[in-house]
Amino acid sequence: MNRLIKVIYAFLFLTICTGTLFAQDATKLEGELKLGPALILISILILFVLVGVFNRAKDTSTYWAAGRKISPVGAGMAIASNWMSAASFLGMAAIMYGSGYHGLSYVVGWTGGYVLLLILMAGQIRRYGKYTAADFIGDRYYSKGLRVAGACLAIFISFTYCVGQFAGIGLMFKWILGIDKTVAILIGAAVVLTYTLISGMLGVTKNMQIQYVIIILSFILPLFILAHKFGYFAFLPQVSYGAVVSDIVNGIAPGKGITALGHDFAHLPAPEYAMPWDPATGQTSFQWFAMCFSLMIGTAGLPHVIQRFYVVPRARDARWSVVWGLLFICILYWSAPVYSAFGKILSSDPNIGPLSKDAIVVYTAQLGNLYPLIVGLLAAGAVSAAFSTVSGLLLAGASAFSHDLYYKVINPKATDKTRMLTARVGTIIMAAGVAIVALANLGLIAQLVAVAFSLAGCTIFPLFILGIWWSGSNRAGAWGGLIAGSSVALIALVYFIAGKNGTVLPAHEFINYYLNAWYFALFGAPLAIITNIVVSLLSKNKTPVEIKKFLAEQVHNYKVS
Amino acid sequence: MTQQYEVNFFKPHSEHAKANKRVIIILAVIWAVAVFGFQALLLVLNKPTPEKSYTTFQSVWPQVVEDEAATLEMKQNFARSLLSVIGKNAVVKAPHKVVLSEALSWTVLSMQPKDSVLIFQEKPRQEAFDIAISSIGLENSGFDKLMANQIPFSIVKVEGTEISPECKEAIPAIMERYLVHNRNALTDTKFIGFPFHYWYTAQFLLIMFVVLCLIYAVITDRMNKKYDFVEEE
Repeated sequence: MNRLIKVIYAFLFLTICTGTLFAQDATKLEGELKLGPALILISILILFVLVGVFNRAKDTSTYWAAGRKISPVGAGMAIASNWMSAASFLGMAAIMYGSGYHGLSYVVGWTGGYVLLLILMAGQIRRYGKYTAADFIGDRYYSKGLRVAGACLAIFISFTYCVGQFAGIGLMFKWILGIDKTVAILIGAAVVLTYTLISGMLGVTKNMQIQYVIIILSFILPLFILAHKFGYFAFLPQVSYGAVVSDIVNGIAPGKGITALGHDFAHLPAPEYAMPWDPATGQTSFQWFAMCFSLMIGTAGLPHVIQRFYVVPRARDARWSVVWGLLFICILYWSAPVYSAFGKILSSDPNIGPLSKDAIVVYTAQLGNLYPLIVGLLAAGAVSAAFSTVSGLLLAGASAFSHDLYYKVINPKATDKTRMLTARVGTIIMAAGVAIVALANLGLIAQLVAVAFSLAGCTIFPLFILGIWWSGSNRAGAWGGLIAGSSVALIALVYFIAGKNGTVLPAHEFINYYLNAWYFALFGAPLAIITNIVVSLLSKNKTPVEIKKFLAEQVHNYKVS
Repeated sequence: MTQQYEVNFFKPHSEHAKANKRVIIILAVIWAVAVFGFQALLLVLNKPTPEKSYTTFQSVWPQVVEDEAATLEMKQNFARSLLSVIGKNAVVKAPHKVVLSEALSWTVLSMQPKDSVLIFQEKPRQEAFDIAISSIGLENSGFDKLMANQIPFSIVKVEGTEISPECKEAIPAIMERYLVHNRNALTDTKFIGFPFHYWYTAQFLLIMFVVLCLIYAVITDRMNKKYDFVEEE
């Protein structure tokens, strides 16, 4: 452990030295190689790998489940770092920057879902005691077919989630290296794949705690400086930025400060930034509710989130790790709106021109004339956030592929070595596929990630909630619900892709509004749950007694005499 | 016998399960009301509230659109109301920006004496921007300065001397879209510097989520002890 701490200090020191040396490059908004930030980024990635090396997993069970020897606070940090992705780090501020109050539906949706997850599922999932989401589905609904379907869904959801992350990685690599976005995505994909394959052989959970600390520090530090610089400092920027929001609503006359490019820190009155469902943003209250609801139930259905509960030693720890995890996540979510508020003012001069919304966090730091090293650290934090999530997702996808599909279904006699190999190959194929889709530039990062949430909300969430709380839900019901949920998802995605290609399908305005790709779970999830219940009641093959017994005794601890 | 193995959230078998059900329902109701109930309240209370520049726009638009009746001051006020929308920058949709720029350029042109309109009928240059700023009467300080900054990005070449019928038709709806906001007592009350509704949604709800989780974790620990519920294998 001592050795580890020394290595960490050495690296932080090295980072700061090299970063300072080349720091002046970070003042240009776009289009140049920024050596300082690049070095900081490389050092941080090497640090993560080294931490992995020193905390190497000793055997397979340690590898998959981190030995189940982790404290609730540590597990909470792991949940938070696994959760905080490019969508939280870059995407949320982008949505609020562009759509004002509508963006808060993401903030509330991505945190409120944890309450559902905790009170309805966390402890019970841990007591059920499986390793992957597909494991649970296949076992609870006593069906190989459903296990395959569950594994395919887990892969597909991880894939969709990854697309948004790759877009974020591409954006940051473009900013750091000053290159074309297509090349940036390809380079970013290559780096994250290498990183995942190297770190995938090592223990992950310890790494996640250190990642959390780096991500959150790099995100919060600039806010203190910004708030101080422009006269909004009072104890915590997360509290004092209220005055910034009110100032945007009422307008700020020139005289409060100067941006890095020499423009006034000023804004004409813009109530559309904070007023609910402002017509100027083009977003309605229905869309706010739909978005918020979809993200909430999606949170409680994401395979890589649910799987975190299998790595804690006891059900009690599963619950407490959610409490800590949510607190750690909220620290980031309390801070993200501060970036969009400052970004709104700092980028208001028409000479700056339109900026890429998804990079507004970094531009805000640049335009606020922060010390370039700090801007570099912020960009590196964004990449780390994306990397930690991507490696988790690629791992979840690969484990669904090699464990649930290959080992449990296709080739039960597979040796450890072949299983490892299929996992690697699966990771590479998935990363390549994600990179190709990410090149298509389908939407904002947060929106792309929202698709994965709606998918999870429509398919996996109903299977878990009914599977745990109602023994009457059986195989036929599970299939029925799954087909209903997937059909809604399919319709929404077909219309979305057709719309992107300029094809007009029948009733496309209606579908694009009510079954939008970002929030189709609003109708999809209730439909899937109702279908599951109705089909379960109608079907003649009831849930086998062994499964009911297991559910009653193990999961709910009913003492049947 | 098999009946006793039935698990149904709404029909708990044990005292522990009953207590657990009660806690879950109470917390879920608090959660749902706090999140969606508050938004519904906003929705009910919301009143379309115009910005000051929208009121100005409404008072001068009928005269401005029929050129003869408008005074110079009316045109200046109209130009300012257009600039207050253009100044919203990133929020303004590109096609709307085109209409607004056309209306602004036409208004500025109509304020010029007959012999100096030519400068607005060719590719805009610095001279035209300076004339525009002085004819609207924008000063070099306060919000005026911010409006003046927008001029080089919104003065375009004017074809002819009349405002185009498409532009005439589109302007009122565009102005309404950007200058009328949903406001109510909750959005206009300030709380630690925030508009109250913004603080509630962006900060209070998150605090509440953490507290709800904390309460659930504590209650569950106590309940497990009370009902002698052994969780571990």
